[in-house]
Amino acid sequence: MFALCDCNNFYASAERLFRPELNGKPIVVLSNNDGCVIARSEEAKACGIKMGDPEFLVRDLIKKFGIEVFSSNYVLYGDMSERVMHNLARWFPKLDVYSIDEAFGWLGGIKGLQHYIPEVRKSVVRNTGIPVSIGVAPTKTLAKLANKLSKKTNGVMVLDNDEKITAAVKEFPVHDLWGVGRQHYKKFEALGIRTAAELRNMPEMWFKQNMTIMGQRMWNELWGRPAIPLEVMREVKKGITVSRSFRNYIEDPGVLAEALTLYASRLAEKLRNEKLRCLYLQVFLYTNKNREDHPQHFPSHTHKLLIASNSTTDLVSIAVRVSARLFRPGVKYRKAGVIATGLVPESELQLNAFYDHDHGKKDVVSAVLDKLNLAYGRGTLRMATEGYEKKWRLKHEYLSQGYTTRWSDIIKVK
Amino acid sequence: MIRSFEKRAEQKISGFQSPAADYLEGRLDIGEKLVIDPHSTFYFQMQGMELQSFGILDGDILITDRSLKPVHGAFVIAFSAGCFTCRVCLLEKNGMVLKNDHDTITETEVDVLQIWGVVTAVCRNLLPKALKQGRYSNVCTL
Repeated sequence: MFALCDCNNFYASAERLFRPELNGKPIVVLSNNDGCVIARSEEAKACGIKMGDPEFLVRDLIKKFGIEVFSSNYVLYGDMSERVMHNLARWFPKLDVYSIDEAFGWLGGIKGLQHYIPEVRKSVVRNTGIPVSIGVAPTKTLAKLANKLSKKTNGVMVLDNDEKITAAVKEFPVHDLWGVGRQHYKKFEALGIRTAAELRNMPEMWFKQNMTIMGQRMWNELWGRPAIPLEVMREVKKGITVSRSFRNYIEDPGVLAEALTLYASRLAEKLRNEKLRCLYLQVFLYTNKNREDHPQHFPSHTHKLLIASNSTTDLVSIAVRVSARLFRPGVKYRKAGVIATGLVPESELQLNAFYDHDHGKKDVVSAVLDKLNLAYGRGTLRMATEGYEKKWRLKHEYLSQGYTTRWSDIIKVK
Repeated sequence: MIRSFEKRAEQKISGFQSPAADYLEGRLDIGEKLVIDPHSTFYFQMQGMELQSFGILDGDILITDRSLKPVHGAFVIAFSAGCFTCRVCLLEKNGMVLKNDHDTITETEVDVLQIWGVVTAVCRNLLPKALKQGRYSNVCTL
């Protein structure tokens, strides 16, 4: 049996845990740069706020209903997610963390799931303060479906026999199934397939002829035959990206270099965390395509390194140089980013006969950098080209505190 | 609990191998005695002297574990009347009350307020001002 556990309105719930006065009140969390709504409490959903709504479009609703607004506080969400996952891991022989707020659990031979799962839920909610929902079924696809249904049954739904599964798929809308994207949905709609039950009643031949291997797996999974294993192994990354919108437009090459220094530093850090080096570094710039009155420019350049690297100094100097070349005066840039590709494991260093290798000097520098920044906070030691003012920095006007990660931010009680 | 080993300074031994080398154990870590379940533990700080008679003083760091049940005699973090408060939880004739030196929150209010977690320990700096200097100013201080 598989379980899918997920946190209800995770970001909103995490914010509310430390602001209990907001329980029962509508709140929303905005994306990076306070752009769009990425999480809503149930009450905010009821106010008519949709996922992905741009902040400026719902400003009136926010005012009208007195909705509390938060900038995304990923430091907090990351820590709360870790707590939830660790607490879940105590109850499942195997756990695959699927995203920041979801995990698949494998239940092995655990018996009495009707009693066990509510226990799990109670314990996780109590220990972390984050409401979670758990759906259990013989396959991952059905567990995901059970999880959706559990939102209306106190957070637990265990489909442990055929009758329950048949009842669950009967009215389940096909577009809410795991793995059904827009393309599939169109195909199903044209055939008049509305529910999961109707989909699984299609003959297997139809799936073989009309769907990819994923479709066939879905068909089997809907009948309770596991076809998707619990993936404990992550797939190897092909590229790592760091990109962000600026707070205001950047029109100055020096300021652009500051932003790219930060992004490239962060990218180097990410590479080192994954114990990878990159052979190619792509730098790109965007203007705001919604502003037709602005000159548009979307340049991009991929630089090939002589030797794969994950050193901050290497990547920053390339990013800054490339960005200076891409930059065009008189253009207002809205966003920039760096992408590392051609990733190779740190351990497999290919040297180049015509290149004077530094014999690991840069690795030592990187190690010191990482150690200091881990101990004293990100950005304690950084490249000077990052600048000091950082006016381009992300907007986060409604940022809550680091209640669980910063001593200065812990809550004072009377 | 698994003790986490802090990496020791790499000793390049020029003379004699330390006879203690075979007997290394992890050095005591106060975290083991203060935080039993790190994934359920949060921190708060006491502000004011409302719990003075219970020995909790202004500025104390309150280690709070959400996994424990608030029983008679437990110090708890609760949310009442719009703010977080630290109280002792007492079971009286008429039900549960939350007390400090100043006032008592009774059960009818306990319904509305939520008990957030149980305080397992307090941490306090005992240094006189003259010694609260440099890195020692960080001892149990935010």
